[in-house]
Amino acid sequence: MKLRIIFLLILMLSVSLQAQEIDKDLLRIKERMEEVSHFTADIVVDVEAPFINMPPKTASMEYNRGEKIKFKSKDFLIFPKRGLDFTFSELFEHPFISVDRGFKTIDNQNLKVLSVIPKDEKADMAMATLYLDIENDHIIISEITTKNQGSYTLQMQYNATEILPEYIEVSFAIENLKIPLNFMGSDTKIDRKAMKSNETNTGTVKLQIKNYDISIAR
Amino acid sequence: MMYKILKVELFKLFREAKTWYAIAAVLIIEFIILFAAYYQGKTILELLLDNLRQSFYFEGNLLNGNLLLYIVLNSLWFNLPLILMIVSSALITEEYKTGTLKTLMLQAVSKKKLITAKYITSVIFTISILALLMLSSFLLAYGIFGDGDLVVYLGTLNFFPAEEAFCRILWAFASGTLSMIFFTTVSVTLGIILKEPTKTWIASALFLILSSLFIKADFGNFGDYFFPKLTNSWQRFFAYDLDHYSICQDNIMLLGYTVLFAFIGIYKFSKTDIG
Repeated sequence: MKLRIIFLLILMLSVSLQAQEIDKDLLRIKERMEEVSHFTADIVVDVEAPFINMPPKTASMEYNRGEKIKFKSKDFLIFPKRGLDFTFSELFEHPFISVDRGFKTIDNQNLKVLSVIPKDEKADMAMATLYLDIENDHIIISEITTKNQGSYTLQMQYNATEILPEYIEVSFAIENLKIPLNFMGSDTKIDRKAMKSNETNTGTVKLQIKNYDISIAR
Repeated sequence: MMYKILKVELFKLFREAKTWYAIAAVLIIEFIILFAAYYQGKTILELLLDNLRQSFYFEGNLLNGNLLLYIVLNSLWFNLPLILMIVSSALITEEYKTGTLKTLMLQAVSKKKLITAKYITSVIFTISILALLMLSSFLLAYGIFGDGDLVVYLGTLNFFPAEEAFCRILWAFASGTLSMIFFTTVSVTLGIILKEPTKTWIASALFLILSSLFIKADFGNFGDYFFPKLTNSWQRFFAYDLDHYSICQDNIMLLGYTVLFAFIGIYKFSKTDIG
């Protein structure tokens, strides 16, 4: 009898999940993003991590739909592995459901909060929380938890007329740096506590994007 | 008078076969270090960037002339001083050995002026070798491996743009030259005290080994003013935020130690009976 009840409950839950629609505002933003077929822009990358000292770097980037963003620079650049998905194509790559979490005011902006859960097991994303500016059709914050590459948060600022952000801040957990002693400078002081610690820190990469040239293909 | 003595000392130095052997040895060492640095550089970069690979991907080349010059600087200050000390100490020990010092003293030459000229000759020789090394290593490193951003690990990973890296390496060479002048001055003083070439070489090698061991030792606050630590102050040019005051203080103090060792040598030489 108990087994039958559990079976019925699972059946009902799965039916209700399948029936759940994607939020209309999110769908509208998704469709708007998908119109971007190609863009080029100039970026300034500023990496902030407890053990990295690097001046801001400039580069140019090029995006073609279905391809990874390409960067060009005469300097050495480091980019976060996650968070450079400007058009959120990876986020919406697999079928998903959205759950409405209501509205939240952040920095005087009333944002719609949604949880996005992929339906396909192939998706690396486990869950995402999106904060939407439904007036201007923009994703302002996205907190993404992946299956294999930890969690990261994206905060974006837009020029109201542009589809793509003019500023992105990517925050993610980063492990302490461990360097073998023989590669340290001869009188480098060793912080034993820090060396032994397995604690993780937060790394932030700030991207300022200028001179967009966007091609739209409807 | 002083100028004439100096000219003679320089002539004697560069007429010696061992001086040219030393220059050849220094250039061979530099060449080997530079190419060893290329392979060492690959390993160093892999280790330095390994932790970051989980969160970042990289665009650009860090295995370039600037990284190789930084690795060369690390090896050079350890391998170079002994050769420079051997040649510099020979300025006085060879004169004792061959007895030419006695002949010189028979002429109207001031002892102080003569030994001061030998110290100045040693300084000129050191600066010339360092200038030659700097020029050749810059030509080889940039000519073969090109330039680019420099990454250095000094507690944190410090990245420098190519132009800034070039300036910092230049200053590090200048600071390293001061350290080399300190070591060659010490070797002339040791030559005055010990008189025999072999004994002076052994004492110079011992001085070098102890100095490099003391760099790693912790002497508390005193350590900041102890000369072995000061000879390593060229590394300060690779701190992300330059501490100009400390760099000047360290180099001025090292200059002070150099002058002190030279004064000890000059005093000892003037009080010693050559005959």
